[in-house]
Amino acid sequence: MRPPTSLKKEFLKKWIMGLQLCSSSKKEMSFLERKKAIKLSADVAMASARNATTRWSRALISNASKDDSNKELVECILGPESESLKRASMSLVLCNKRNRSKKILRKSCSIRRARKSSSQMVMASSIAKRLVKKRTQVLKSLIPGGGSMSEFSLIEETLDYILSLRAQVDVMRHLANATELLNRK
Amino acid sequence: MMNMASPEMLHCLSTSGNVAGNGTDMTVFERQRVRMKWQQEQFQQQQQQQQQSYFGGNEFSMFSMGGQVGQAQQFHGLINGDSAGVGDLLGRAVKADPGLENVWPEFGKLTMPGTGFNVENAGFESAGILNCSGFEMNHTTSRTSSCPLAAAEAKVRESVLPEKIASAVGRESFKKRKADKVQSPKVVAEEETKDKRIKGYAEDGESKITEANNNKNSTTTTTTTATTTTTNNNNRETSADTSKVSEVQKPDYIHVRARRGQATDSHSLAERVRREKISERMKYLQDLVPGCNKITGKAGMLDEIINYVQSLQRQVEFLSMKLAAVNPRLDFNIDNFLAKEVFPACAANFPTIGMSSEMTNPSYLHYDPIQQVATCGVEMGINPAEIALRRTISAPVSIPDTFLDSCFTQIQPSSTWDADLPNLYGPEFHQGRLMSFPSQAAFTGPIDASNLKMEM
Repeated sequence: MRPPTSLKKEFLKKWIMGLQLCSSSKKEMSFLERKKAIKLSADVAMASARNATTRWSRALISNASKDDSNKELVECILGPESESLKRASMSLVLCNKRNRSKKILRKSCSIRRARKSSSQMVMASSIAKRLVKKRTQVLKSLIPGGGSMSEFSLIEETLDYILSLRAQVDVMRHLANATELLNRK
Repeated sequence: MMNMASPEMLHCLSTSGNVAGNGTDMTVFERQRVRMKWQQEQFQQQQQQQQQSYFGGNEFSMFSMGGQVGQAQQFHGLINGDSAGVGDLLGRAVKADPGLENVWPEFGKLTMPGTGFNVENAGFESAGILNCSGFEMNHTTSRTSSCPLAAAEAKVRESVLPEKIASAVGRESFKKRKADKVQSPKVVAEEETKDKRIKGYAEDGESKITEANNNKNSTTTTTTTATTTTTNNNNRETSADTSKVSEVQKPDYIHVRARRGQATDSHSLAERVRREKISERMKYLQDLVPGCNKITGKAGMLDEIINYVQSLQRQVEFLSMKLAAVNPRLDFNIDNFLAKEVFPACAANFPTIGMSSEMTNPSYLHYDPIQQVATCGVEMGINPAEIALRRTISAPVSIPDTFLDSCFTQIQPSSTWDADLPNLYGPEFHQGRLMSFPSQAAFTGPIDASNLKMEM
């Protein structure tokens, strides 16, 4: 399905804003710096376009604002709601920490349990379960802030994230082509 | 047992044509068929009474409920649940998708296709049953294809105690036929749950069989969130192939019918509800991720999803690198776009660079007729919006939303693709270019090399 144009519009708006801010602040940037700035502003713009309704966007914003150098950029892109968004993201981070410690505890218990049953026959269902589990882990690592989500919310976040990524890729591609054509002239 | 010798029943029995086997003996099978006919009549009577405010499938539920009600009223405690069981078999409610967010409006109602499984399989004179419009049970045909057997074992139908309808708490209904299971339990569960899109989660609360229950009374609802309500009944030993139906009557309760032979405690029921939710979401993901249609397993699907997300992320990285390479100074100055006349058609409409954004609207309106083609142009046509955007940004003016709308929704005649191809399209620059837009839809692919070559 096509990402809605409203999403693209918002993303573009915020992204350009961020880029302008970047370019105005520093004069000479290396290639990598530029690339980072572009990608960062694109990501943050994408996340803010979601207005902190989804977990991944909040996680992304909080990760980005952890870095001091990015803070102003983030704030600029976020705009007026930056404060509330930040607060939401911070709370999410705290929740994550709590969940993480709980999960570590749970895992240590389950490992002990698993060892007992390892002698039994390996069934197809257990193999399948293991596969699924592994893959969910990978997916969790891909989605920003996915470490603390339940399986169900992970899938929902993935859905949203895929849509946003698609919109982001579309807009960036067009911009890149346009600039390329422009330079060609 | 057969004290229900009402005249209509006997009449039905005598007129029943497809009774297999004995003509005079009131085998359980025949009794069931008689009951079915009885239910049909009841249903037809009640059909006018009850409001058809649900989707077509609800007629089914109405029917089954009506049948049940009729039975309950008439044959207290004497009714064996055969017909009820069959009614329930038929009574697959339609699941309407709650439509998660506005982002996915098209994941709308999912109607369960269900065709005349009864006619062929059960041999019932259930023509009346099939009157339900738009109600199919295709997913159940696989399971109910063994319905002749089901009919045979209809005798062992669950015991329908009308009282139980009112007090259904965690009762199980129908057994899942082991014969149908050829896949791994997980896949089967998925398939089943996928087939049973009878979840009325959240908003829309589909009408399900228990909707009809509601008509009777809401005592069926219990306080647990995963209560099982059986429209007809509860039984532990029935043999029907029906699978479970879960619905949302009111926002608080999710009604789930447990499968036969499975635990009825709230934990496993909640677990099942959870699994159904997950598989429902996975279905959406299937539509979203290209190439996922063939894969049915959860692990395979997850694999595809992971690959897709990774590829999208890589694309973002690559594009940002490309942008960094193309822009030595990170200045996305839109004025350049106009100055260099990248959009010659636009240039005609933008005589001055400093034109206010409002004035550009009419120029875009000129291309309204081609809007249908613009659907593909929406993706490509970000450029004029970019132009306007940057222009307004460099001159600190707030971006009027209307302008953006017109930009994004209309075909972009000033697409950069065409910028260098006036010679190709000849004098009919505007018309020809716009017409050829669809052909350029392919340019939106991730590989822009071909596009660039064209402009050489």
